[in-house]
Amino acid sequence: MKNEDDGEMAEEQKKKPCRFWIWALSSVFFRLILISFPGNLNLSSRPEVSTPLTSIRRLAEGYWLKQASMSPYAGSMYHGSPLLLSLLGPLTVQRIKGQPSHLLCSLVFVVADVLTAMLLRGIGQKLQMAYGLNARLLGFLKSSRDKGILPCGDIAALVYLWNPFTIVSCVGLSTSPIENLAVVVALYGAVKRRVPLAAFGLVMATHLSLYPATLTIPIIFLLGYGLDAPPIKLFLQTKSVENQDRSTSDVSKTEAKLKQTTRVPFLWKTVLHFVFWVLLWSLCVLVLCGLSLIKHGGLEEMFKSTYGFILSIEDLSPNIGVFWYFFAEVFDFFRNFFLIVFHVNILFMLLPLAIRLKHRPCFLAFIYLTISSILKSYPSVGDSALYLSLWALFVNELVDMKFSFFLFCGYLGISLLSPVMHNLWIWRGTGNANFYFGNAIGYACFQIVFVVESVSAMLNHDRALKRCNSKNSREVKN
Amino acid sequence: MATEKRDDKENEAVKTDDGSPKIKPRPIVQLGIFLIAHSHVFSVVFSAAGIMALLLLPLLAKNTYISENALMPGSARSMLSHRDVSDGSKLVKDIKNLRLNHEGQGVEVQRLIGKYMSEMGAEVYYQKFHPEGNQFHPLHFFSGPDSYTLLGNVSCASYGVNVAGIIRAPRGDGKESIVLVTPYDSTNGGDYEALSLGIASSLFSLLARVTWLSKDIIWLVADSRHGDYRPVAAWLSEYHTPSFKASDLSKCDELNTSHSFRRAGTMAAALVLKVDGRSERFEDTLSIFAEASNGQMPNLDLINVANYLAVHRQGFYVKVEKVVSLLSSTWLKIVGELFEAVGKMAHTLNPDWNFGIPAADYLEGSATLASSLYSQALGIPTGPHGAFRDYQVDAITLKVSPRFSPDNTARQHEFFQRGAQLLEGTIRSVNNLLEKFHQSFFLYLLTSPGKFISVGVYMIAFALLVAPLPMVAASLYIDGCNALTKATHNPAENLKSWKWLDAAKQVLALHLLGFIVTLLPYFICQVPGEHSPTNRSIMWATTISSVLLITCVTIPGCSPFSSRLHGTNWAVLKSVTISAAFIGLCLMSIINFATAEIGALLLVPMCLMVRPIKPDLRSRSVKSLLRSLCSMVLVTIGFPVMFFAICKGLIGEGLVGLSLGGEFWTWLESLWAWKSATYLYIGMVHLPCWLLCLCILFHPS
Repeated sequence: MKNEDDGEMAEEQKKKPCRFWIWALSSVFFRLILISFPGNLNLSSRPEVSTPLTSIRRLAEGYWLKQASMSPYAGSMYHGSPLLLSLLGPLTVQRIKGQPSHLLCSLVFVVADVLTAMLLRGIGQKLQMAYGLNARLLGFLKSSRDKGILPCGDIAALVYLWNPFTIVSCVGLSTSPIENLAVVVALYGAVKRRVPLAAFGLVMATHLSLYPATLTIPIIFLLGYGLDAPPIKLFLQTKSVENQDRSTSDVSKTEAKLKQTTRVPFLWKTVLHFVFWVLLWSLCVLVLCGLSLIKHGGLEEMFKSTYGFILSIEDLSPNIGVFWYFFAEVFDFFRNFFLIVFHVNILFMLLPLAIRLKHRPCFLAFIYLTISSILKSYPSVGDSALYLSLWALFVNELVDMKFSFFLFCGYLGISLLSPVMHNLWIWRGTGNANFYFGNAIGYACFQIVFVVESVSAMLNHDRALKRCNSKNSREVKN
Repeated sequence: MATEKRDDKENEAVKTDDGSPKIKPRPIVQLGIFLIAHSHVFSVVFSAAGIMALLLLPLLAKNTYISENALMPGSARSMLSHRDVSDGSKLVKDIKNLRLNHEGQGVEVQRLIGKYMSEMGAEVYYQKFHPEGNQFHPLHFFSGPDSYTLLGNVSCASYGVNVAGIIRAPRGDGKESIVLVTPYDSTNGGDYEALSLGIASSLFSLLARVTWLSKDIIWLVADSRHGDYRPVAAWLSEYHTPSFKASDLSKCDELNTSHSFRRAGTMAAALVLKVDGRSERFEDTLSIFAEASNGQMPNLDLINVANYLAVHRQGFYVKVEKVVSLLSSTWLKIVGELFEAVGKMAHTLNPDWNFGIPAADYLEGSATLASSLYSQALGIPTGPHGAFRDYQVDAITLKVSPRFSPDNTARQHEFFQRGAQLLEGTIRSVNNLLEKFHQSFFLYLLTSPGKFISVGVYMIAFALLVAPLPMVAASLYIDGCNALTKATHNPAENLKSWKWLDAAKQVLALHLLGFIVTLLPYFICQVPGEHSPTNRSIMWATTISSVLLITCVTIPGCSPFSSRLHGTNWAVLKSVTISAAFIGLCLMSIINFATAEIGALLLVPMCLMVRPIKPDLRSRSVKSLLRSLCSMVLVTIGFPVMFFAICKGLIGEGLVGLSLGGEFWTWLESLWAWKSATYLYIGMVHLPCWLLCLCILFHPS
């Protein structure tokens, strides 16, 4: 019986990766097909896809300026990293005859997407193992096989690859696939405890889009405390119960492991190691940027037109965020005040969330990314693509999330409504900016509901574990 | 829409609250629970109210008013002199002579008009264009107008020549202009059509010498040999997006047109003038056409100005199009009389309540409203003014029908004077504008030239009609989820709040199918060789059915008729279907209200009524049999081809079998040729929802 079961399991295990690869490959093919019809889709000019920071057309412009030995930031066209300019810039001018322009760039983005998905899969496998281990330690999962556990790595990777938002931002030639890749590299490095890699990812992600700087906190938690786990109190309870009936039960190997985890040592050494690497990589990046901009105003110019541009919200062209409308309306003498208020919004939320969710650093990273993609100055659907796939890493914990269908319908409706409203405003002229902004508000509301529900589902999950645990312990006592 | 979503949210709050500790819900949540619990009653009430509100719309129409103060219509005295009018008469006479002398000489008439224009002091140029039909670009719907590109090599056999003259405004800076269009078919245009040239030339002669112009005037004589719309669209696309490739057409004729195209800044408004047919009434008749592509309308102020001047200054009888067959319909008359009686009764109760209108007015209003809805829903422009709307220029077509025969030169003079004065007044009003039209409504329906229904009123009817959808979806979702929880005992497989995923997969698959179906005609038209519409429709039908079959066979989970019992529960499937229909209809109501309204009238009852037919037939009670019959009938009517046939039948053209297919195909082809969003709606919302309803109807439960 057991052998049969095992055989089935093995077969299933063999089948599953196969199916995963089929789906992953088909998503790549789908992208390649879409890339070959760029004229029909015209995605790269859509405000939902390309923002002033991520648009490839601006990047090409910046590269052209640089080739003409001018500062790439001249004329407020390009606002990205000078490193990206050196990497992607040559590809924007390369044309293969008979092929659509920017083909090489598209291929780079496809590769970036695939890499991101693979790293997500790696993270997910690690998280899945941790989930199984914890569940066994707490005594919910009796058998050694993780039968009820969903393969969250595969799910997250497929969610990333097949998410229409990801596909659109990949085909629409925005640089967000590369930003997303940097973020996922940071998380992957932290999860796998490869400190230099984590530091590199974090530094690159911050360099590219500033907001991932908030990820420093979850990464430090990840390196210091280890992977996501239920609150430590539960383990203590379990341990006490097990201590009581140690006489009856065998001293298992898990006991030894448990002892290690109960103390929760904060690994200062690793964290210091991480800080050292962050400093080293930042130095590298700054030196490289300085070298590439040595004739055009140096680093000061770069900070002013990348981070300064992000923070002072100079470009008020419409996007799916809520800032452009507000800062188009606000009086000039209040502008600085509101800039501070709006940016502090993100910072305010960092600390409370960090305290409440410190036992789940990966989840914390997901929440930070979601919040920053709501309150970003130039958000695009690429950001949503990233946090939605990170969310899929926690399918096991978030199985009973509320409003799932409502949120799904909302995201669907809003993402279809957005081009319609834009069309009404820009092309038909029968609508106005309020139409598109109303859509942006709706989108922000759905995102907020999504975050709130995710967090509350996670906390409920912890509570449910606690309730179960206390019930178990009472049973044992009796 | 927001309120509905909110309802939905409330509903879900109720259903997912099972596990958490019981707290007394807030009043709004309680309201949500109440609505869901009685969703059957409320859906009937709301749908009935929606249809009722639609019938009430003619009653709720308001009188139009001029919203932009700068327009000041009719405040200045007309400066049209007899000399101007005789200029116009002379042009008409010359054209007639020319046509009598040499027939079929295409360019001669244009040259004559050009000569007249330049004599009046205008800059004249000619534009050659190729009368090519619209290309089908299914994905271009959300972007702006395409630049007009010539495909392949162009033959000189058929092309048109537009003549345009520009009068530079003495007080303007050349950055704004007003366009006057007179379509004229130089080879086989009737005598009536020449009259429009007479009016326009009288006006042009006046405008060439007035001092008050602050916007340039462009007079475009569009060569309407190949339809009205195409020449205007070609001229507009050259005006806005010039093509820098040397056109092959320039070699075709001795008329040199290259490098002569001139522009005059942004267009503030455009007026299309047509004269045709003899008026059936005692007065001269002026018909106003305003519907552009996808139900877009010009700013209401433009219609108001033209209407005001025509009625109060020039004494035209102004009308907008109406569905004539509705005027004699008995049931509408009864409804009108009912409303009249209610209005009278209300008036006796309280003299301040004056909402009743006479039954005859009601009949007229609803006939006009029906026509307005129909032409907006079709999404095909009703005249050359539609081309302007694509460039955000407000434009209307004024079609004048004189009450005399074209040979009567004595009356012609007076007719020219009145027509030119009407146009002069309108142009003078538009000339006063400081900004583009923005004050008045863009979203409205007309019930008579002087009455309109604004978006805020007609949206109520639609909102009431679709309001049951989220309620019923939520209540079904709760039922379905409870049933599924009972069915599965394995806690590991029990994804608590994700039970809708299977149903969503199926819905998504069918919508994908709808997308493919929508794109198919594009590929079918690429098939080489000439095919009749009937053949094409057969090709289309076979491809669709094969695709459907392949989907069913290859993806067992997505198969609509799969017999797997543990698959999807029909209640959840119906709930997801209804949500999809709701999203689709709400989206469509923003793109094109009229399509959404008509679509909702078909989709909402169908989606609400449909249930698996098997258990109903098994139970054999009268009620359930009646219910299954009802849903069968609704699903039959809901099939687009069927609905098309019924509509044709109502008009009086009975169609059966293959000719119906061909007819339907031609209709669809015309829809996509005009880039109508209705086409996308039928393919991507209506058809998938209909298929899903079919799946539910034959669900093996």
